[in-house]
Amino acid sequence: MKTLIVEVMDTKRIGELVTVGRIFGDTPDILALGTGDVPGTYTKAYFTDTAVGANLIDPLVDLIREGDYQLVLLSATTLGTEIAGPLGVRLGAPVLSEVIGASADMTVTRPIYGGKAVATFTISQAPAILTVRRKYFEPADLAGTTTPVPLTGTGTTITLISEEAAKSEGIPLEDAEVIVSGGRGMGSGENFTLLREMAAILNAAVGASRGAVDEGWAAPTLQIGQTGNIVAPSVYLAVGISGASQHLAGIANAKCVVAVNKDEDANIFKRARFGIVEDYKKVVPALIQALKEEQ
Amino acid sequence: MHIAVLAKVVPDYEVPSADFELTDSRAHSRYTRMIGLYDENAIETGVQLKEACKAKLTIISYGKTEDISVLRKAIAMGGDALHLVMGDSDDPFVIAENLKMAIDGLGDVDLVLAGQQSADMDRGVVHSILAGMLGWQFLPQISRIQSEGDLWMVAQAHENGTRNLQFSGKGVLSITSIPENVPRIPVVRAIFAAKKKPVEKIEGIPGTPMNAKEVSVEIPKMESVCEFLPIEDMAETATTLLSKLREERYL
Repeated sequence: MKTLIVEVMDTKRIGELVTVGRIFGDTPDILALGTGDVPGTYTKAYFTDTAVGANLIDPLVDLIREGDYQLVLLSATTLGTEIAGPLGVRLGAPVLSEVIGASADMTVTRPIYGGKAVATFTISQAPAILTVRRKYFEPADLAGTTTPVPLTGTGTTITLISEEAAKSEGIPLEDAEVIVSGGRGMGSGENFTLLREMAAILNAAVGASRGAVDEGWAAPTLQIGQTGNIVAPSVYLAVGISGASQHLAGIANAKCVVAVNKDEDANIFKRARFGIVEDYKKVVPALIQALKEEQ
Repeated sequence: MHIAVLAKVVPDYEVPSADFELTDSRAHSRYTRMIGLYDENAIETGVQLKEACKAKLTIISYGKTEDISVLRKAIAMGGDALHLVMGDSDDPFVIAENLKMAIDGLGDVDLVLAGQQSADMDRGVVHSILAGMLGWQFLPQISRIQSEGDLWMVAQAHENGTRNLQFSGKGVLSITSIPENVPRIPVVRAIFAAKKKPVEKIEGIPGTPMNAKEVSVEIPKMESVCEFLPIEDMAETATTLLSKLREERYL
């Protein structure tokens, strides 16, 4: 099946999509957003310095039609969300988002009801457009690089005025082997200091639930869950997090969840490997002390 | 200026996984129905924009007549009118086609807002398909909107931070949740007033579904068994936890 990946110049994101592409057939072609050589080896590679996905619809439609692509793969990220729907309308193509499983017979799975159920679809038309949820497919080992040719015909209907990068604190969530995450049970933004202190000793990243982000206690870029970051750490320490299904959808691939919550009926304990039913203000300082003593 | 907000009535999204049941591949009908999680953020954003721009705010939904009582909350929050396109399809193209019909019917809509994804099908694509059908601009995960003449200045919550973007003409924006658009709680007077508002019911059209067939829906098994640690001596609890994490090679 002739497949086109559309992704920013990011080795991990591209690697995950190459893995999905290989399920359906040969190594896909790629359109990369950014400059420089594209990680991996491709028969055809294109690049564009257009940063706004919405500006790529027209040239992408031409590229997909001229290249006779049967499948378009995007990550379920801002870029993928921006492109998939309008592209589907222009191409008359089915759009399946947040794909978490795929097989060669054009069957894909995606979560519904906040991850409480999983739906399976068969696709019977080409081209089809899939957005793939991050961290559900092991990134392919991208050997070598490919020098891309420019994508032609890009225009500007939406103008990027400015971009403010999120303040990075320590290890990025995406790469973290250990994540310490706080929810509404933290009580205030100041109380996240405790989590940051513990994270620093554990060499961990700090995350937050949607509730904590909505309260303004943590930056939106730290949100973990279905509509935030999808993470897959070795240890996920959930502090004061109730465990709504939308949050659990973001940690489905965490190897070990440790839950700290005063409420013994909190849903997070149903996903946890280890649980401590106690006020985090007693638990976290004790953990920090124990970690310091180990050092 | 005329702003339309798309709102979908969905089964209670806070039902814990362990209590979740399906009937005919959909959430059991016993669950309370409510406006979708992010749709309420979109309604709140719409109300704020209406107040700032002295705009008209119309709530548009695709669903069943029974949804009207739930959707009245959007009127109580500040919507001026409620239009319900009646239908029961779960296909994103069919839903978008029906919503387009309602927007075309209004004739003068400048901006469409929607929650970044529904709280049942979790697709996050209906609004973007609608934008494609309307031939309007589409931007997802918008956290701030300003109108300056013919221009829309918007902030987009991106994976790496925030982008400030600008476009002219009509657009469809999906709204993310931020502390500034936490849905307001309607006052009692507004709730009663909303009950009296007439609702425009529009007969839905069959539409053209996409060529992808849902073949099954299953509830995944959660196999984790939680080991609760004793809490009598917290220092010992902490040491025990760290030891166990190391023994099982998680740390």
